[in-house]
Amino acid sequence: MTSTWLVILSLAIALGAPVAYALLLRVPVVRNHPEGYVVAFAVAAALAGFAVARARTRRWPAWTALALTSLLLIGGAWFNFVGAQVPRTPTALRVGERAPDFTLTDAAGRPASLADYRGQKPVVLIFYRGYW
Amino acid sequence: MAELQGLGAALSEAERAGVEILAVSPDPNERSQKLADGLRLGYRFLSDRDLAVARRYGLVHPRGGPSGEDVPRPATVVVDRDGVVRWVSISSNFQVRPDPTEVLRAVRAL
Repeated sequence: MTSTWLVILSLAIALGAPVAYALLLRVPVVRNHPEGYVVAFAVAAALAGFAVARARTRRWPAWTALALTSLLLIGGAWFNFVGAQVPRTPTALRVGERAPDFTLTDAAGRPASLADYRGQKPVVLIFYRGYW
Repeated sequence: MAELQGLGAALSEAERAGVEILAVSPDPNERSQKLADGLRLGYRFLSDRDLAVARRYGLVHPRGGPSGEDVPRPATVVVDRDGVVRWVSISSNFQVRPDPTEVLRAVRAL
């Protein structure tokens, strides 16, 4: 493969992977394997490295691709393996024990308590970080 | 908010009627209402502005937010009719959420 095609393939993988991840967030298998985009960045950086090695005359596109994909690899790896990690602090939740009760207001402004549902129906509590 | 959509889609209509899904976040009510309107899932969105409930549950990620504020740790808890915790999933990477089919299995096992 020529250097030019390697550069194109490298950039397509590097830019396509995060876009595909974002588009497929609803698919649990994709969402729960965020290391996939880190692997894609590594593949893209390797291809850019080959492009640099193969380049005969015009070398800057290959070097540019290598620089860009290396940055994405470092940034992506840091984000996934460091930035997005949640500290494993002890929780108050024990399977088989009563869930702590609480009262909050819902989106319509009505109060909602966990105790409201006792004897009525099971509850799935989803704690999420908010909608940014 | 993809994880919120997944669970709603996985539940049948009868199951939706038989279980309450409470989505708890520090978002203000207006924002949650906008999200609720957009998703049309029938969840109750509860506003835990000061993380009081997240704190009581031990689900706070200190300085984990984009501007260094405390945020909840993403977690899903299945509570049975008697108020007893039956299933818990707490993410160790905030990009990762339980697979809706796992949550569904826990709900169906009640």
